[in-house]
Amino acid sequence: MADPDGALVLQTVGLRKHFGGVQAVGGVDLAVPEGDLRAIIGPNGAGKTTLFNLITGDLAHDSGQIFFRGEDVSGLAPQDLCRRGLARTFQVTSIFRRLSTLENVQTALLTHHRRHHDFFRPARRLYREEAMMLLDRVGLVGQAAKPSGILAHGDQRRLELALALASQPQLLMLDEPTAGMAPRERHEIMALAASIATDAKLTIVFTEHDMDVVFAVARRISVLHQGEVIADGTPLEVRGDPEVQRVYLGQRFRARR
Amino acid sequence: MTTVRAVGWLVVLAGLLVLPLVLPSFLVVVMTEIAIVGLFATAFNLLMGFGGMVSFGHAAYFALGAYAAALLVKQAAWPMVLGLAVAPFAAAAGALFFGFFIVRLTHTYFAMLSLAFAQIVFTVVFKWKALTGGDDGILNVWPPEALKSPRAYCYFTFAVAGLAILALHAIVDSPFGMALRAIRENPRRARFIGVNVRRHQLFAFVLSGFFSGLAGGLFAFFNGSVFPDFAYLNKSFEPLVVALLGGIQSFFGPLAGALGFKILETVIARQWPVYWPLFLGTAVVVVVIALPQGFVGLLQRRAWRTPTAR
Amino acid sequence: MDLLTSLFPWITNGPLIVVQVMSGLSVAMFLFLVSVGMSLIFGVTRIVNLAHGSFYMVGAYLLVTLVETLPQHPLMFWVALGLAPIGVGLLGGVIEVTLLRRIYHREPLLQLTLTFGLILVIGTAVLLVWGPDNKSVARPDALAGSVRIFGQPFPSYYLVVLALAPAVAVALWIIFYRTRWGMLIRAATVDREMLGALGVDVATLYTQVFVFGSWLAGFAGALSAPTVAVALGMDGDVLTTAFVVVVIGGLGSFAGSFISALLVGELQSFGILVFPAVSIVLLFAIMAVVLIVRPWGLLGRPEE
Repeated sequence: MADPDGALVLQTVGLRKHFGGVQAVGGVDLAVPEGDLRAIIGPNGAGKTTLFNLITGDLAHDSGQIFFRGEDVSGLAPQDLCRRGLARTFQVTSIFRRLSTLENVQTALLTHHRRHHDFFRPARRLYREEAMMLLDRVGLVGQAAKPSGILAHGDQRRLELALALASQPQLLMLDEPTAGMAPRERHEIMALAASIATDAKLTIVFTEHDMDVVFAVARRISVLHQGEVIADGTPLEVRGDPEVQRVYLGQRFRARR
Repeated sequence: MTTVRAVGWLVVLAGLLVLPLVLPSFLVVVMTEIAIVGLFATAFNLLMGFGGMVSFGHAAYFALGAYAAALLVKQAAWPMVLGLAVAPFAAAAGALFFGFFIVRLTHTYFAMLSLAFAQIVFTVVFKWKALTGGDDGILNVWPPEALKSPRAYCYFTFAVAGLAILALHAIVDSPFGMALRAIRENPRRARFIGVNVRRHQLFAFVLSGFFSGLAGGLFAFFNGSVFPDFAYLNKSFEPLVVALLGGIQSFFGPLAGALGFKILETVIARQWPVYWPLFLGTAVVVVVIALPQGFVGLLQRRAWRTPTAR
Repeated sequence: MDLLTSLFPWITNGPLIVVQVMSGLSVAMFLFLVSVGMSLIFGVTRIVNLAHGSFYMVGAYLLVTLVETLPQHPLMFWVALGLAPIGVGLLGGVIEVTLLRRIYHREPLLQLTLTFGLILVIGTAVLLVWGPDNKSVARPDALAGSVRIFGQPFPSYYLVVLALAPAVAVALWIIFYRTRWGMLIRAATVDREMLGALGVDVATLYTQVFVFGSWLAGFAGALSAPTVAVALGMDGDVLTTAFVVVVIGGLGSFAGSFISALLVGELQSFGILVFPAVSIVLLFAIMAVVLIVRPWGLLGRPEE
């Protein structure tokens, strides 16, 4: 797919994965240009998380290729992908629960700066300012000293976002970033992500169920159905796509037009 | 550091300096053993409490250190201090080799494989009579004259073990330690912030083995002899029980546990040596049944109370 | 061929090889019995019973005592062989009901530590009951000698073990694959909760499995008693080897234990010919190789 917006940050070609006899992801071609805010939507079981896991190296793909910033990264381990500039958050919040909020971010920072083999310095002094800045950006400065496990759900999501940002990624992949949140919080966190993306010239790919959020934030949408991309384009294009309406959006959106 | 803490540390330091002078000889010997076991348990806890990896075969590294020191002194006629200096490296080599396989597994398999390797060390030491003396062990492994008296060796042990424990403390506080704790909390997230989890865990394993070997070396000269059962199950059990007893959630817990453990052992094992393993085993069974939330619970209860949890 | 023959003079000695293979099979048999018990218990209850070696040891000691106290008669050995494992099974049952039941829902490492503690308790109990001296029990008179296989001597007792081996393996297979109980066990290894939801009394099943597993260990111990020195420390020795077998074969896998026991048994048998002192290291090398290629053992499944 030719792309007028510039270099592709992420590209998959013919990505396939099956489990047993079931084709979870069947020949997915994805092209995400730099600066994009891409939503991947689809009904439950469409293969969104599987696709994520394939791209980020959690799952081995059966065939196809994954290009990150032009480089073939198929089969790379997560830590190597992270070093190349790919960060992600998980559907179930994945943070370091018994470390404090600040320590969470400090750990991510010192790992990013490859200081985690340093045996001699007290770690609690390292990268405090940078960590506090990141926490400030996601609105968690007041919670810095608390053990992250006791934070409210939404705050834990924010922390996870901060962790992902600590590695100064080029691409941020958010797997259901608003899961479990109230509607207002959902818009807040996605607005936050979007503003961070603009400031840091970051590309974001996220999966989402809440259509309001998707249409409010996304610049482009890819629609997945039964492991295949059935539509790809701007929110307007996708909304108007008859195939998408038939399969996924249903009556509600047809009426809206 | 607060004033209260500083004063507390000064008291401890004063005690360590003065007690060997005033206590009777046999208690000085007990104090030396407490220091050695405390070092072993602290090294073990680097893996368990801070790394979340429970090894059931740490005696292997203790024994490797003890035998390395003993062999160098007896066969190669090295001075004790040099033998002691090499001991931890021998143990670390073993830890590197075994650890490479062990860290590929997790939890139950990790524990089991570590136990299997320790038993293999035991069997090799037992059977390789030509090198290790087998069941007879290696005897007459004494420190030089200057350090031979219980008091002198006690101070020596305090110094060596003390430095080692300070080093371990620095490691736990360091960026390495923070990343290790992160791995303990959430290995998947650790990967996604760029940590090579397996390699990091292997480093921790080797470090733990290194200091366990140092404890073994100290023990060799303390005991005057080394035997294959330094590598046996019971010895592997010791740091686990001691650390559990004192608290795996804190750095100094295992040291406190060593104190309590040795006091119990001195009281019970001297009176009824046959019953000591029985008591130990029963105590462990009872403790396990009575701990409502298991190892994790111990960690959690402390963590929630203090905001800057370790 | 000349180089090989000088390194391994027995390599052209056909009869010797046959005998070694057979003795390796006997060793494999003991190992299989011990490991399958451990594997079975893990497969269903998810507990690795570190005290398994202790059960083996108790089985051996019980056989000694039974043979000593029962009236002298050639058949009494077999009676003792039948009774000793039952004692171990009972011990296992008591332990399961009083202790293990309370910790099934806990962390695996807690469970390991408890069974680790049991090693010490049982070990001391054995010492207190039987004393520190080594014990021995003679093979039954009919089997005390050896037969000639292709001209090579082969202990008759091992022949019986070898004959018993397929019988026990087949019996186990029948139990696991042809009885309802065995089906429940196999279902439990796959999905315990579902089984409970279907109305099966899982708690009793666990007890039965643990008793059966202990019985197997006791049977292996009793069976091996006439061939080894019955002594304290048996528990550690057999635990090591059982571990290696179970780790190579994969925890929870019946077939894995079988294949692995064969492998280890033959290795130990030939290892003694090649490098007597180093057979354990060879074992370790094999285990290392297997773990590189398949970290969960040949036929094991990754942990949940």
